[in-house]
Amino acid sequence: MNNAYFITAAELAALGFDRLPDELNSAKHMIYSSPATLDFNSPGAKGFGVKRAGLCVPGSVMLLVAPTCCGRNTALLNELGYHERFFYLLLDETDIVTGRHLKKIPEACAEICESAAKSPSAIMICVTCVDALLGTDMERVCRQCEEKTGVPAVPAYMYALTREKRIPPMGLTRKSVYSLLKKQPRHADACNLLGFFAAMNNQNEIYGLLGSAGLRNIREIGRCKTFDEYAAMSQANFNLVLNPEARYAAQDLYDRLGIPFIELTRVYRPDKIRNQYRGLSQAIGKTLDDAQYYDETVQAIAAFRKQYAGLHVAVGECLNADSFELALALTEFGVHVAEIYGTIGERNFVYLKKLAELSPQTRVYSNLSPTMLCYERDCTVDAVIGNDAMYYHRDLPGIGWNDEAQTFGYRGVTLLLSQLDRAISENRQIAEAEI
Amino acid sequence: MKKLLKYISPLAPDDSGACSVLYELGGIVVICDAGGCTGNICGFDEPRWHEKKSAVFSAGLRDMDAILGRDDRLIDKLARACEQLRPMQPQFTAIIGTPVPAVIATDLHAVKRMAEKQTGLPCIAVETNGTEYYDRGAEKTYCALFEAFAAERFPTQKGKIGILGATPLDTGCTHACDVTAGTDAAGAVCFGMDSTLDEIRRASECESLLVIAPSGLKAAKLLRTRFGIPYEIGAPRIPEDVIAQAMQHDGEPMLIVHQQFAANALRHKLRHPETADCATWFLFDNAYAQSGDFPIRGEEDLQKAAKQYRVIAADRDLQRLLPDYHGTWIDFPHYAVSARLINTNQ
Repeated sequence: MNNAYFITAAELAALGFDRLPDELNSAKHMIYSSPATLDFNSPGAKGFGVKRAGLCVPGSVMLLVAPTCCGRNTALLNELGYHERFFYLLLDETDIVTGRHLKKIPEACAEICESAAKSPSAIMICVTCVDALLGTDMERVCRQCEEKTGVPAVPAYMYALTREKRIPPMGLTRKSVYSLLKKQPRHADACNLLGFFAAMNNQNEIYGLLGSAGLRNIREIGRCKTFDEYAAMSQANFNLVLNPEARYAAQDLYDRLGIPFIELTRVYRPDKIRNQYRGLSQAIGKTLDDAQYYDETVQAIAAFRKQYAGLHVAVGECLNADSFELALALTEFGVHVAEIYGTIGERNFVYLKKLAELSPQTRVYSNLSPTMLCYERDCTVDAVIGNDAMYYHRDLPGIGWNDEAQTFGYRGVTLLLSQLDRAISENRQIAEAEI
Repeated sequence: MKKLLKYISPLAPDDSGACSVLYELGGIVVICDAGGCTGNICGFDEPRWHEKKSAVFSAGLRDMDAILGRDDRLIDKLARACEQLRPMQPQFTAIIGTPVPAVIATDLHAVKRMAEKQTGLPCIAVETNGTEYYDRGAEKTYCALFEAFAAERFPTQKGKIGILGATPLDTGCTHACDVTAGTDAAGAVCFGMDSTLDEIRRASECESLLVIAPSGLKAAKLLRTRFGIPYEIGAPRIPEDVIAQAMQHDGEPMLIVHQQFAANALRHKLRHPETADCATWFLFDNAYAQSGDFPIRGEEDLQKAAKQYRVIAADRDLQRLLPDYHGTWIDFPHYAVSARLINTNQ
């Protein structure tokens, strides 16, 4: 029996954002760290949390200053080859109450530098809830470390306590990883893509569009192999912000280095993608001809609609999309979105309202609700999108859509549909073979 | 620096140990944190998270909860969870401490009383703070459980053995049958593993107790005092390949690194145990040590000691500490170090 809490899109839209049910408000209930969504509560364990993201600066190392419990799952990153770049200064009970550990941090940094075969380009000093509560002035501590070692030291704030603040930990981390950039002459043919820590999908049309506008040096931190390549990012004429969590970093780069920024939102509805590229064209004063990409995308959607009209899907939130915008897009593509496992906020409530008009019976669940412990499928679902949705429906065809090489724009739509098509087709072939 | 880890990742912490003991007992377990500790426990230190459902939640504390000490909100959320999960018939609630309540000096016992009043369910509070190792947390939790629930004296059941210390962190196993496989204790009750809270309540039925990890020792003493149940020191199952490799080097200077009772158990398998020393990062009780055994307080301790031994039996993750060690390394997995299981079905 499905005892998990849900509300339909129509009911939720009727309530309005100001009257969200408590079950959808994570501040009002215990948090279920479901196996489906471990990366919400433990971003260090999967993908890019503060710890891994902090090491995006080439040649950098990280000193995690924390009790044992905070660094435990970092062992997972060892498998990705990070073990030589992580160091830990473990805090005891007296440390966390008195803050006496602060005096040990410069000494620890010195010991790390002495033991390293090659001097690190920077030391990212990762601090946790303990220092958030102690009110530690990490900028000051970092200056002391730099004086002691001669190596730049930068704070990385892993403050889970401030997850829902205006600038969440991942926003602060993005600022930190770009904070070592120094002012230098800007080049008209250079720009940066901000928002993601790994290099984006090479097939994204944004590279071609920007290239056609004369931008020959399109830089991303995930593609920087050396510190010099990273340092060249401050030559950018402008920054393109592709993830809202990078806005604070972009603002800082504007304030410090004078690099302006333009923000684009990742959406899956082709008309909205086209509108954004038109806005970008105007902002940079160059024509971006997206007709070919737009047409290909519209054709791909038409083909998918023809083959899968009436398909019932479930959409999760552990994926490279806003769950509600993606659900809205899929609904417009002719797919029936049966369930969404997502976190509703002020920003995506707009999509929910539109979704409610097109698909009022779509169920909205919160992955974080304790009642998800009792989730069982009790409606028609044919395929799923998102790692969390795949966990709930392990017997169904699905795609995680959670690659580190992120898609953006039209490429996201066409790749999503082709991957979904492949997953469903393969599943059918297996089922037929079994028969 | 003693507390600087330059080669290995941090070992399993006390809040993970506490959760490990409570995991299968049918309660609502609240980790009093902002989310990260729960993620570490569920995503790394608790292998059963992906195979057995359990109501383990994060309190989801936010900065203002901590700054203003809003314990009432925590209790409201707990009461709501009890209500929401009524179909699962929770038996009790538990609140596990982390660095956040430690920094703001939360009175977890007051929170426990508030929880019991509001939910009507018994509550245990475990004062862990994330700075100690898992076995301290497990030790506190065993004691709290037996204190709270093993009050009644039941008739002794002849031949019934209760096992203490059977957590995945201590044993590398997620099923009781794997813990006792090949030992004299097959069929014994592993408290907290493949057993329910009712077995804790009926602990006095045991004719004897077997303590297979130092984390269970205090609780065993408590049960001896309360019910007169004798206890013996035992050992979890040691993987056959580890024993076989150790036997090949019998008589050579050997260092065995694990939780103390597992390390001792491997030494006892040798024909020349006098050539082997045991060391542990975790609880070290002199009463169960031989001369030459030692606790490990930091990476340097192990680096210095390693030079004296031609053979080291320890988790392979510790090998990073000793890149220049040229002796024989026997991989002796310890879940609290590398999060690797030794289930027989794996």
